[in-house]
Amino acid sequence: MDMLGMYPTFYVPYIGTAWVMGIIGVIHVVASHTSVGAAFLFALLETKAYRDNQPQLMTFIKRYGVFLLVFSYIIGSITGPGIWYAITVASPRGVGGLIHNFVWVWAAEWVYFTVEVIGVYALVYLIGKIDPLSHLKLTWSFALASWATMLLIVGILSFMMWPGSESWYMTGSTNDAFYNLNFFAHLGVRTGSMLVMAAVVGFMVAAGMKDRELKHGVIRMLAPVGLVGGLFSVMMFFYYLQTLPENARVMLKAHLLPSYAAGMMAVVAVASLYLIAAWARPQIVRLWIAVPVFTFIAVVGVWPEERMRESMRKPYVAGQYIYGNQVIARDVPGKEIVAEVETIAEKGLLKLHPFVPDRLRTVTDENRYEVGELLAKIACSNCHSLDPGAPLRSIPDKFRRSTDEDLIAAFLRGPLKHGAIPYMPRIDLPEPEIGAIAHYIATVNAAAQAGTESDTPVADIAPASGPSKE
Amino acid sequence: MDIGTIMNTMRDPAGVPAVPQLFQVLAVGTWVFHIAFVHLTLGAAGLAIYAFYKREAGPYWEQMSIAMTKVAKVGVSLLIVLGVAPLLFTQVIYDPQWYTSNVLSAGWAIGFIFTLIAGYCLWFAFYWGNHEGAKRYIGVYAVLSLALFILDGLIMHALAYQAILPDRWMEWYAPGGVVDTSGSKLHAIEWPRYLFIMSLSAPAVGLYLIAYADYFATRSDKTPEYRAFARLLGRTIAVPGLAVSALLASWWQLDHPAATGLSEQPLGWLLPGFLLVLAGLTAAGYQRLHGYAFLGIGLGVLALLAFWREVVRITYLTPFGYIASDYKVHADWPSLVLFFSTLAGVGGLVGGYYLALLYRAGRVQGTYTAEPPIARLGTAAVAVLVVWIGVFFVYGVAIWIRNALLA
Ligand code: HEM
Repeated sequence: MDMLGMYPTFYVPYIGTAWVMGIIGVIHVVASHTSVGAAFLFALLETKAYRDNQPQLMTFIKRYGVFLLVFSYIIGSITGPGIWYAITVASPRGVGGLIHNFVWVWAAEWVYFTVEVIGVYALVYLIGKIDPLSHLKLTWSFALASWATMLLIVGILSFMMWPGSESWYMTGSTNDAFYNLNFFAHLGVRTGSMLVMAAVVGFMVAAGMKDRELKHGVIRMLAPVGLVGGLFSVMMFFYYLQTLPENARVMLKAHLLPSYAAGMMAVVAVASLYLIAAWARPQIVRLWIAVPVFTFIAVVGVWPEERMRESMRKPYVAGQYIYGNQVIARDVPGKEIVAEVETIAEKGLLKLHPFVPDRLRTVTDENRYEVGELLAKIACSNCHSLDPGAPLRSIPDKFRRSTDEDLIAAFLRGPLKHGAIPYMPRIDLPEPEIGAIAHYIATVNAAAQAGTESDTPVADIAPASGPSKE
Repeated sequence: MDIGTIMNTMRDPAGVPAVPQLFQVLAVGTWVFHIAFVHLTLGAAGLAIYAFYKREAGPYWEQMSIAMTKVAKVGVSLLIVLGVAPLLFTQVIYDPQWYTSNVLSAGWAIGFIFTLIAGYCLWFAFYWGNHEGAKRYIGVYAVLSLALFILDGLIMHALAYQAILPDRWMEWYAPGGVVDTSGSKLHAIEWPRYLFIMSLSAPAVGLYLIAYADYFATRSDKTPEYRAFARLLGRTIAVPGLAVSALLASWWQLDHPAATGLSEQPLGWLLPGFLLVLAGLTAAGYQRLHGYAFLGIGLGVLALLAFWREVVRITYLTPFGYIASDYKVHADWPSLVLFFSTLAGVGGLVGGYYLALLYRAGRVQGTYTAEPPIARLGTAAVAVLVVWIGVFFVYGVAIWIRNALLA
């Protein structure tokens, strides 16, 4: 191996590509889960409308449907490809790995997705324009098709965590990758939570309805569905925790639960209380309560959940074979994939990476800072911001702003080289590259310290290098 | 390092799960529908705006503006979902090119998402306001929205075009040897290609109007006069629009680097040729031929465009030694069966049911009651989903048990 199939790097200062992905991801999850959940609520309500001859329920469905068209279908359908674009530019090899394992699954999801988009227009605009039985079939098929998109995507998402057994590595079969160990648990969490979100959004829609009797009737039907969904989701979440790999559990115990557990319990408590209260007294449902509750669920519930999944996957981005920094971590005989860590240890990233300018392929006194920065971006920035004080696991902060190159290099030569930290990739680099990275980090920290004293920009302290400065 | 070897090394080490040509055909074929809805949407949006400002000039402009606003609204949804398929299939066989191009303009790739959301929301704002006697200022929403969509088209174009210029990548990524990881630039735009593809929006909406006039023949609330207006307007837009597109297509044809030899290829000249023939046909036959025939022929032209784009891509990449069809294959039959059976079963029955309902219901005034075949189709749609989900779980649980418990 004289070259690695690595891509250029895209670096977003301060928040990193990880947060860009996280932000788009959360918007997407909220929009898409609400719409799948709502589809089932529609089916239940419409079945009742049809059976008990209560056509007025259809007014609610229409209202909610129009709301969904805007809220979920514009935002959801754009942020869907949006996540894809975001992972593409953040982890091209990660997304490539997923695509090449799951292209047919994604393609099947696309069929559903297309059907769903046509379906939502049909559902909303054909209310009252076609006979009720045909519409009921439309709504049920729409609900099932919407759920199918979730069934298909969750297999891919949960494979990102891990396959859960050796089978896939040996067979390379999509079956083994898709129906992985945590698939059903993960599916359960999402299926339950989508009903909670859809019920709360349903309250938002119901809040503005004039017909009090109808409004209260609808709320009384939505609340128990949301509650059952929520309960199921919580149970499945505990089961989900049992299906996680070791690196994820370490991460969870050490970093995640301490910062997120309280918020998650608060979300469960608030959502349950709200649903119970609304069930008992539908008149308390007001827009100014429903909107903050929903926002609370999104920000304190979904955001940490998405960030946790991203963190727990670490050091990998997909299937425990591609590291966050795009290096292939292990062999996958079933697909003839070969690990790259040893080759990098032997030859170095500067020699192997196709997108390193020739003038930076050898470390010199002149280019050490610049090489260090490039290497840090390649090897670390997928998970770490390189800016002091940044929210995404800032590297300068992780080294406590140390300016001691030897101390930093000792970390690179020790735990990092040997893969001793379960949630970090094993990054084994030749000595000159370690030196360059250590030099870069120490210089950034020196600049930050000087900056807090005198506002000196990094560039004035960092040794000038590269043609741009000449 | 030689860029051809680099590209071949950048291919996903997992290989592709079926013969690469299959993905190539799917990428080209599904893109036809994406671009068809791009054209219809942009054309309808443009016409909606024009008609909106012309409301005082005659009796039908307002009705036309409102109708086209709705067409564009639905059109955006469809162009997005229909863009997903080619996006997926293209990156299976052209992953090195597509990903590199995206990373090098990453800021724009992300910006694409947010501008698309903003553009779509603005269009909805216009749609809600655009009723009889609407206020004039809401036209601004529509103009801004269309401008954002046109920008999004430019981003798409740049991403597609940069992907086939691999020998320039390094100079974009590290100009003068200094690496730029900001992804903040669009590096290459081929104006003739972009303008030509975008220009097809005008003929698209023109031909659509002719078909629109025929579709509503059974609805008494769409008067014969209005339909005649739509038909004539369609012709008035389509004929010069096709001529301009033919000119732009010729410009693109002449713009290819000499070394590619593309300018001399007769196939490439078929595009402007067909456009001119279609212009003549529309001018002469717009009263006699059924509107749907024009749509069919228009789709044929787009298929030719899609095919030609692929020829262009292959011609640009082959000299570097990148041949899509020699991608390593690791066949995966079960997931292939999953896709094709879903496409036929769910796409056919469920999608077919929705389209049949929409088509039929749109043509009657008042309530439409499904005839027995359509009602049966509805039952089949629900049934096929129940079966699909059932198989999904039974099959999945079996594999899960084997791997999680027995292994
Ligand atoms: C208003 C929004 C959009 C517009 C105006 C638009 C327009 C275009 C245009 C003009 C091209 C041809 C570029 C060229 O060949 O030079 C194109 C290609 C393409 N578009 Fe879109 N598009 C839009 C949204 C989308 C979305 C949302 C997706 C994906 C979900 C998408 C996926 C694609 C793909 C995959 C290609 C082909 C790329 C290739 O073959 O290299 N587009 N689009």
